[in-house]
Amino acid sequence: MGVEAFSLRDKVALVIGMANPLGQAAALALAEAGAQVAVATALPTPREEAAAHACAQAIRALGCHTFAHTLDTTSEQAVAALIERTGATLGSLEILVNAHDLPFAKPLLEITPAEWQRVLEVNLTGVYLACRAASTPMLTRGKGRIINVVSLLAERGMAHGSAYCAAQAGVLNLTRALALEWARAGITVNAIGAGWTEGMDLIGNDSLYQQLVRYLPSKRLAQPREISDAVVYLAADASAFLTGQVIWVDGGVLSRL
Amino acid sequence: MGVLEKLQLGGKVAIMTGAGRGLGRAMALALAEAGADVVAAARTQAQIEETAALVRARGRRCLAIATDVTDSAAVTAMVGATIAEFGRIDILVNNAGGATSGWNKPLEAITDAQWRMGIDVNLTGAFYCCRAVLPHMLRQGGGKIINITSGLGVRAMRHNYMYTTAKAGLINFTRALALNYADKNIQANLILPGIFPHDDPALLQFWQGGKFIPVGRPGKDEELGPLCVFLASDLSSYMNGAVIALEGGGLAGGQVPTGFAPILPLPEGAG
Repeated sequence: MGVEAFSLRDKVALVIGMANPLGQAAALALAEAGAQVAVATALPTPREEAAAHACAQAIRALGCHTFAHTLDTTSEQAVAALIERTGATLGSLEILVNAHDLPFAKPLLEITPAEWQRVLEVNLTGVYLACRAASTPMLTRGKGRIINVVSLLAERGMAHGSAYCAAQAGVLNLTRALALEWARAGITVNAIGAGWTEGMDLIGNDSLYQQLVRYLPSKRLAQPREISDAVVYLAADASAFLTGQVIWVDGGVLSRL
Repeated sequence: MGVLEKLQLGGKVAIMTGAGRGLGRAMALALAEAGADVVAAARTQAQIEETAALVRARGRRCLAIATDVTDSAAVTAMVGATIAEFGRIDILVNNAGGATSGWNKPLEAITDAQWRMGIDVNLTGAFYCCRAVLPHMLRQGGGKIINITSGLGVRAMRHNYMYTTAKAGLINFTRALALNYADKNIQANLILPGIFPHDDPALLQFWQGGKFIPVGRPGKDEELGPLCVFLASDLSSYMNGAVIALEGGGLAGGQVPTGFAPILPLPEGAG
């Protein structure tokens, strides 16, 4: 097995989360590696819908089959319908990328229970529902790849980030638990741990951005593709024995004091 | 036995390396206040004599033994002198260690001698001490080993090699100890102290007054003592191979300079 083991030719993939630049980048990376890639919003907002259509267009330009789907990831029925559409349109689903990302930051005392629920519902429950629905074709074929894109806030805390941090950490350990559960079913479940990336909403103002740049070992933020390209390895036959892991693509920031 | 009685160290003997100043002295005094007799070991006799006087002022016995922990013969002699004086060793705190600013340099500029010294002081010394003390703990039917690591045992820093490598090694060395002697009633745990400038103005300035630490200040030496007492006492009898960080919250964040996210409400249409 050489580089060919990294090819995704004839494989069918679904990427959820087009508000996340890492979701868009992952979809393009999968398409460049040869996969047929469906893209879906995590939430049916006009902004995310537009991003999904732009992403599908870019995938089409690469000569791959695709479609853009407007999904509300918190609806069990809607997620099931998307998995069905993917199978009917592109073929049996083998690769699921969960890039759900609803960023949110407030002091704890200002977070309403409804906001808390919403952040958990989209960022964490949405991933659970997607894994659940996607498992049907994967378990049937005895082959599947689930890749969850998490933030470094899954591993570290940040003041005002309580709800988001809790949700991200939830996805990280959901990844490990599910990897064990499906280890003998031919489905690997892994995560890509993303470092600070250009275009992230959580960075906020320019002064924080400048401080961040000074702090990062690489002295720069990542381009989305630098992080999401790792998805190709995790989606390919080359990583068949790798499961329950998080691959940090963070420019070294988690290594520093 | 009540919870506070379990913290009592009366009748126990503790060896503290690096006991001449700073955290070592503070922990030695805390152990003495909990009732332990103390062997204060460090290179500089005058400093451990001061520590010994402070221990004795608390009504406990103390032996000050000048010891370079990188010298295995000296360590063996120190442990022998402890047994000769007290007849037992219940607690070993491997606190000796440190770095000098001369070691702070790019990898390619580090000499063989500097590398060995950095590893010896911060890791091999703990091995020598454990090796010398373990037979006595086994004979007594138990003991407590407390190793002092650092934030640099789990994270790295620019131009810091020997210290960070040795302190990380010390963590897994402790886990190996914990594993191998768990059935012998010997517990080995780690304390991970954050930034403690020991009231030294130069150090305080170097660490910018600790303004980047989540709690907003560096640690005070005496704040470390109670944790050492806890890990030396029966209260922690089921803890083994654990790392307890006492560092004002820095490791919980540490991926951004301010630690604060800007306020970011739910996007329109996403609520």
